Formats: sequence, C-alpha cells, structure tokens
Amino acid sequence: MNKARRIVSSILISSIVFSGMAQAAPTALISTEQAAAAMQAAPRSEAHARLQATLDREDLAAMLQARGVSADELRARVNALTDAEAQQMLQQIDQAPAGSSDVVGILFTIFIILLVTDILGLTKVFPFTRSVR
Amino acid sequence: MIARLLAAVAALLLGGCAAFGTPPQTAALLAAPPTGLPARVERAEVPFFPQTRDHCGPAALATALADVKLPADPDRLADAVFLPSRGGSLQLEMLGGARRQGAVATRLPGELEALLREVAAGHAVVVLQNLGLSWLPRWHYAVLVGYDLGTREVILRSGTTQRETMPLRTFEFTWARGGRWAITALPPRELPATAREAEAQDAAVGFERAAPPAQAALAYEALLARWPGNLLAGIGLGNTRHAAGDVAGARAAFENVAERHDSAVAWINLARLRLDAGDRTGARIAAERAVKRADAAEPAWRDAARATLGATNER
Repeated sequence: MNKARRIVSSILISSIVFSGMAQAAPTALISTEQAAAAMQAAPRSEAHARLQATLDREDLAAMLQARGVSADELRARVNALTDAEAQQMLQQIDQAPAGSSDVVGILFTIFIILLVTDILGLTKVFPFTRSVR
Repeated sequence: MIARLLAAVAALLLGGCAAFGTPPQTAALLAAPPTGLPARVERAEVPFFPQTRDHCGPAALATALADVKLPADPDRLADAVFLPSRGGSLQLEMLGGARRQGAVATRLPGELEALLREVAAGHAVVVLQNLGLSWLPRWHYAVLVGYDLGTREVILRSGTTQRETMPLRTFEFTWARGGRWAITALPPRELPATAREAEAQDAAVGFERAAPPAQAALAYEALLARWPGNLLAGIGLGNTRHAAGDVAGARAAFENVAERHDSAVAWINLARLRLDAGDRTGARIAAERAVKRADAAEPAWRDAARATLGATNER
C-alpha cells in the first residue's frame, strides 16, 4: 500500500516537476539554493536535484505528521528549511538534540540518581532509604 | 563524610574524566580578557517569556524575537517548532521558526568569546545547553543576555527564571556538551558581530526560503555590505529583487555579479531577464558568456546555458 502510494506520488511529482520545467526552462531564473548546491557538491542534473528535494520534503512532512505535528503546520514547517536542511532533518529527526528540559527536571534526575546510589549502598543522602545490603 | 561520598559519586558519574577544573575557553578568557570586550554587560531590557511545560525552545525564540521587536507569541512559536514525539524542539526547526517570523537566524562560532562579544554588541544569543550528562542528556534552550568577568558569571533568561546567573565554567560545560550551538535571530538589515562568512551566507539563503522576497533582498544587501566578494549573495540579491517585482534592480544585481565573478549562473539569469525585457541582443551576449564560462569551468550549467542561448535565437 505504502509502496504503491510512494510510486504513484513519485510519478505525479516528477510529471509536475518536468512539465513545469518544460514550460519554464528558458525563462525561470536559477535559484540561489541551486547555485549554492552546484558550488558545493558534485554536479547533479538540475532536474534530478529538484526531484530529489521534492521527494525529501514529502517524506519529511509525513515524518513530522507521524510525530504529532498538526496537519496545517506541516507545509510551513517543511518549507522554512533549505533543501540541505530538510535532508539533514530527515536523517536526524529522532536523534538530534531536542531542547526541552527545565530546572525541575534536572533536580528530579539528580534525586533519582542519588536515590538509586543510596539504595545500592554507595551513598547515604536521604534519611528514609535503606541499603539493599 | 557525605560530601566525600558525593564527590566520589560525582566522579563516577562523570566517567572519571578531568572535568572538575576550569574548561579551556573559560580559563583562556579569564587569564587574558580579550581587548575591546567590556568586563561586564547586562542587557536588562531583554524581555522574558517563562516557559510552559517542555516549551523552552519556543520561549527562548520568543525572547530573542521580541528583543528585536519582531512578532513573538510563544504559543504560536510552539506550533512552529515544537516536536511532540520528542518532547522538545530541534535546532533546525529553531532556525526555520525564526525565519517564519521575519528574522535571519545565524549560527555563531563555537567560541565563548564570540558569545560574549555578541552580547556586548547588543544581541540576544539563543544557546543549546545539555544540563545533564553526555550519557544522560537534559537538552535545554536558554538566552544569554549578560556576563560578568569579575564574578565569573553569565546571565540567562532560562526556563521559568527571569534572571539566572550561572558560573561561566558551568555554562561552558553545559554549552560544550550541547555541541557549542548558538544563534542570533536578527532583522535582515542587521548582521551578528561575530558571524563568519559561510554561516552568514547559509543564514541568508535559508531566510530567502521563508521570508517575503523584499525582506530577503535586504538580508543579501547586508551580507554584501560586509563581504562584497560573496558570489551567492549577489545571485540571491538578483533573485529576490526579481521575485519582489524589482526587475531593473534584479538586472543591475546580476550585471554586477556576472562582471565581477564571471559566474555562469549570473550570466544565465541575466540573459533570461534581458530576454524578458525584450533586449534580445543583450540577452544573446550574456548567454554567450554563460556558455563560454560553463564550458570552461562550470560544467553543471552547460545545458542550462545552451538552452538559454537557444531561447535568444527563437523568433
């Protein structure tokens, strides 16, 4: 099911991209990001790079949705990233640092660690703990 | 006795590494304060948005945006950057969120001195800290608003604390553990004091994606004012002016950058704009230069250059 959807969407997207190119090729300007990509990486064809970027964005939007982002925010969030950033995010979405903690959280962590070390008999910080040994 | 045991446990937790002293950048800063850096700065006027739940990312971003008078509603920003499954906000989305509010988000060099200089220059700095340990991370965004080399402290807007003072060394430990990530979020006309050319360029290209073209053009102008030789800023200026409807300004930008850098992209875009304006002869001259340049040094643009040259010969 998913695979079929993927194939259909690839065909759709590529047809959109290529039809857009056929019409726009001589007059549309080369974008700043395309110029940047050509300066950095090994040259890929313009059409291939554009197709890849479109697919990456579709994948990223789907990943964000699966991770709880509301549907009306998906497009804007994905579009605020450059092609390179979208690709990077696609790879790191579940590993990259996600800033969230507050000071209560860190105190709680220390409390738990000391509680465990207390119970293991390595420390005796809290009056109410009794070592397992 | 308890103190000794605590120290032993702490040593155990930190993996026995020599992390008890003063980290290198703090030591260097205190040993020889850099010239031109004030000994004490506090930007008391920076607003404060206390974080709710896990929303330290949106709160930190709102603080930086409000500091430069851009729209900053933490709830709205939470929709733009918070990732529910991770219970936090990713760094890349912090950049995207700032852009969507009209700010250019620029990564700063990973040096404590750069951060302090930025604060001294009147900019709020959003930092990522790991308040926990490398194997037990507690990721946290805060905003650096001041420092005092005398008392060896930094001043942060952090979490629910409006004015958190933290020893400089602790700050460096937590910031280094967070990958030395720091950004400014500034209006497009303003560049951070310490940003390097590569990061400033990335920031402007990213801004172009999310901002209105006229605003993005301002960012490229600022970039060119500091680094007149930046090729991509010249191309970006032409593209954003064109997107904003300033056709003459776009042509002028591409003419400048094409002459200066002999760039295939600039020649191609210039040819296409001249063609749009009905200047067939001028377009052909530019397209010929594009083909010549692409053949000589930029093979990636060979096809595009030839297509453009072909278009100038059509009737």
